[in-house]
Amino acid sequence: MKYSLLLIAFLGAGSLMADEAPVSNITINCENPKTGETCQKSPTEVIDATGMDTVVSDVPKKDAFLAKGAEVRISVIGQGVAPMNTSSPAQAYALAKRAATADAYRLLAEKVKGVRIDGQDLIKNMMVQRSTVRTTVQAMVKNANVVETTFKEGLCEVEMEIVLAHSQFSN
Amino acid sequence: MRSRDGNRLSALSIFKLIFLFYSLALSAGEYLISYRYVTQNAILYNEVLSIAKAMHKCTGTPSSTLILESDGSDNLNQIISQNEDEFLSFIHALGLDVKHSEINTNLQNSSTTILTLKTTCFKVNFNDNFAKISPLN
Repeated sequence: MKYSLLLIAFLGAGSLMADEAPVSNITINCENPKTGETCQKSPTEVIDATGMDTVVSDVPKKDAFLAKGAEVRISVIGQGVAPMNTSSPAQAYALAKRAATADAYRLLAEKVKGVRIDGQDLIKNMMVQRSTVRTTVQAMVKNANVVETTFKEGLCEVEMEIVLAHSQFSN
Repeated sequence: MRSRDGNRLSALSIFKLIFLFYSLALSAGEYLISYRYVTQNAILYNEVLSIAKAMHKCTGTPSSTLILESDGSDNLNQIISQNEDEFLSFIHALGLDVKHSEINTNLQNSSTTILTLKTTCFKVNFNDNFAKISPLN
């Protein structure tokens, strides 16, 4: 009799402990793009070690960057420098202009397509020995227009723009 | 039934048309053109424009056209060198591949940008005083 009372008390304490354990609900909202029907997955109870409730839902849809019939004008200013050993100011201008054009093309490519960045730090004996950041851009730029070119004190600046239209990408 | 005079008139007009056609379009050809320039640390480092006559027929249809003054010459190298700025602007509008790499080591920066027009076939018509250049796509 004494042992049976002890067993009942032990089981009751165990069930109380189980009720107090942290429980989290994970809710995933999804939508069928074809039918437009929303599907609600049944909430799943997951025991979370942190004891915090976790809710996962779809990332809200971004608005289209280029709406139908809309245009986006991207403008950049490229800079170029003339080399030291030029035979005439005209040559210096021509070479600096070419360099500035290349810089403007690079800036356009960076804005439209993006940049790849790789970084590497070498740390030895708790000290930074070498810190390297590499950036690369690779793109094809078409129909860029030169708006203005200025040349002042050996520095050439080329203002360039490109117009992106919805029709260019909707084939 | 046609008269003899009528036949002669029509034959003359055909000859006139042929003469006009040949006087307007003296010669035509297809050329392969490529262009590449390298900029290092914002300074132009190297520039190459290659022009060669195509050894076999190119496929494609002519798209945008550039008309350059040729002064009766049918030497494309010469015509382009005389109108270099115009031709390079035309090439830029066609589209260039941009390849840029930049390295920053211990806060010191160095960069290299390469702009390239891949070898493209151009159809060139040499008229009396003009050269009509169109890329084939």
